[in-house]
Amino acid sequence: MKQTRNVLADGTSIEDLVKVDTREIQMRALSDHEIYNLEMDRVFGHSWLLLGHESEIPDENDFVVRDMGSDSVIVARGKNGQIHVSLNVCPHRGMKVSTLDAGNTPIHKCIYHGWAFRPNGDFLASPVEKECMHGKMMSKTELGLEQARVTLYGGIIFATWDHEGPSFEEFLGDAKWYFDILFQRSDKGLEVLGPPQRFIVRANWKTAGEQSAADGFHTLTLHRWLGEVGNYAKSGEEGGADLSPEMYGVEVSSPHGHALRCIDLGRKIRKLTGLDPDELSVDQKLEALPPPGVTREMLPQLKRNLSEDQLKVLVSMPPQVGGIFPNVLFAFVYIPQADGSVLGLTLLHAYVPKGPDQLEFVNWILAEKDTPPELKEKMLRQSIQLFGTSGMVEQDDSDTWPHMTVAARGARGRKSTLKYQAIYETSKPAGWPGPGIVNEGFTKDDTQWHWWLHWHELMLANV
Amino acid sequence: MTATQHLSSADVQQGEVVAIGSDTYNQVLGFLYREASLLDAISLKEWSALLATDLVYSVPLRQTRPMAQQAASIIRTVQHYHDDYRSIMGRVMRLTGTKSAWAEDPPSRTRRLVTNVQVSTTGVEGELAVVSYLLLTRSRFDSPDLDLISGERRDVLRYVAGELKLARREVILDQAVLGTPNLAIFL
Repeated sequence: MKQTRNVLADGTSIEDLVKVDTREIQMRALSDHEIYNLEMDRVFGHSWLLLGHESEIPDENDFVVRDMGSDSVIVARGKNGQIHVSLNVCPHRGMKVSTLDAGNTPIHKCIYHGWAFRPNGDFLASPVEKECMHGKMMSKTELGLEQARVTLYGGIIFATWDHEGPSFEEFLGDAKWYFDILFQRSDKGLEVLGPPQRFIVRANWKTAGEQSAADGFHTLTLHRWLGEVGNYAKSGEEGGADLSPEMYGVEVSSPHGHALRCIDLGRKIRKLTGLDPDELSVDQKLEALPPPGVTREMLPQLKRNLSEDQLKVLVSMPPQVGGIFPNVLFAFVYIPQADGSVLGLTLLHAYVPKGPDQLEFVNWILAEKDTPPELKEKMLRQSIQLFGTSGMVEQDDSDTWPHMTVAARGARGRKSTLKYQAIYETSKPAGWPGPGIVNEGFTKDDTQWHWWLHWHELMLANV
Repeated sequence: MTATQHLSSADVQQGEVVAIGSDTYNQVLGFLYREASLLDAISLKEWSALLATDLVYSVPLRQTRPMAQQAASIIRTVQHYHDDYRSIMGRVMRLTGTKSAWAEDPPSRTRRLVTNVQVSTTGVEGELAVVSYLLLTRSRFDSPDLDLISGERRDVLRYVAGELKLARREVILDQAVLGTPNLAIFL
């Protein structure tokens, strides 16, 4: 039985979609309906999925409607402030219980036959209590909305349908040490600056997912304009359109498919201070260039919440972009400004699968809760101008993924392979204090390859 | 949520209705038609000459909300566009002054159909409040499908040295989830 469940209708085994020896992926993985349907159970049914941030639903009974893979869920704050994630499907006749994007209600009442549920998913009642419209075969406790397992991490809401699977900490594994530098560094944590932008890209979710697992190479060509005009172009002691200096750093990956590109801040700090960054202490570097959303007044918070080793990474080689498996991109980027200063931005994306050839791009823009309002406003404006719907950087990404998806439908194209053959021959830099699979130097394919290996592992394991 | 306040175009005071067919109305219509044809012809530098230097250009998010909460369906915290003159000129520079603005190279073929134009005076001398409907069709590459972007423009036009300039544009889109992969085009 196990054998046949891992063979596609045309006889191809899932095992063979990934050529481990030569680091290749069969491109049909980007277009195939059968693979997509399996992914919804095996990948999205067994991973922790990003649904939003608790600051979107600050008050009791607040809710937003989001997606876990191909399923709609209600993310609601119930009694005692607890956050619940309920399958947005009425157990009666399958109607979508909430047809809204967001709101506040103590009772989610299905408009079809009136079954009513609390924010925690408990079945409250059907109309005409004395007639017991829901019958007597099942008790009320059996008729609640299906509950996902929920965790909050730095206020970010993650949920999974896998109640027996790894804890969120186990899921993050070694990568947690780095993610803590981003998400757990301040006393009050992050908050969203508004609801997320949402738009449809006619591309398989994995085109965006694998790119988020720290594709460093695409910066050079797809985002080449950054070197042609604007503040990167003029900043260079390197000059011109050469973005390759931005491609050196440290890349971290994990057996769970998470990835982080840690990019050297040395050149920026040198430019801001006129001093050799190697001669500066951690404190001096923090003063010179505080991380995104953090002001100099907030620096003591970082020292309270992070270890010395984490601070060392934060001030020299911070994680700036990367992914949380399977479909999340984070960006904690340092953007050079026209006046020579640097503005940090903080974003999260989820690439929600909407069929084998469609994804919904969900873009949250965040800041630290303690970030002063004027700085929040600056971060918000520049995030909108560079990332997400109209963002001058990411509009090039979203126009690329559809082409790959179409190519993966071709009779020859589907048998072509994606190649991840640029392999690190270095290791972690001397004295690097962090855990995980760590390599330094010019960007390579390893982090994305590890993303695919975990995808493969889940596709084979959960049968 | 952010504590910052966002000016909505609802704050623009609408005064007297400018009659359909009047000289002023026709000048506004001429401006909107000329603007649409410049954008559709990808004459972005010429288009940018129509912008006032204190331009505010924004495209709020939309959310699906119940009938009783329609005001809350327009989100002006995070938006799709939230630009000023300087940042719009930055976008124009990327599209016209680089060789790698791939999201619009090769460019989309677009039509901006502008209708239902209503003009009124504002509290400010020389400024007009203009509401119009926009249906933008966008064709890319060899796809036979058009991306449709529909919405209501809420503009402020201002006479500067006898010429109309765009001083404020807010576009209230109809989709909560946009059906186009980016807004690398101007609305």
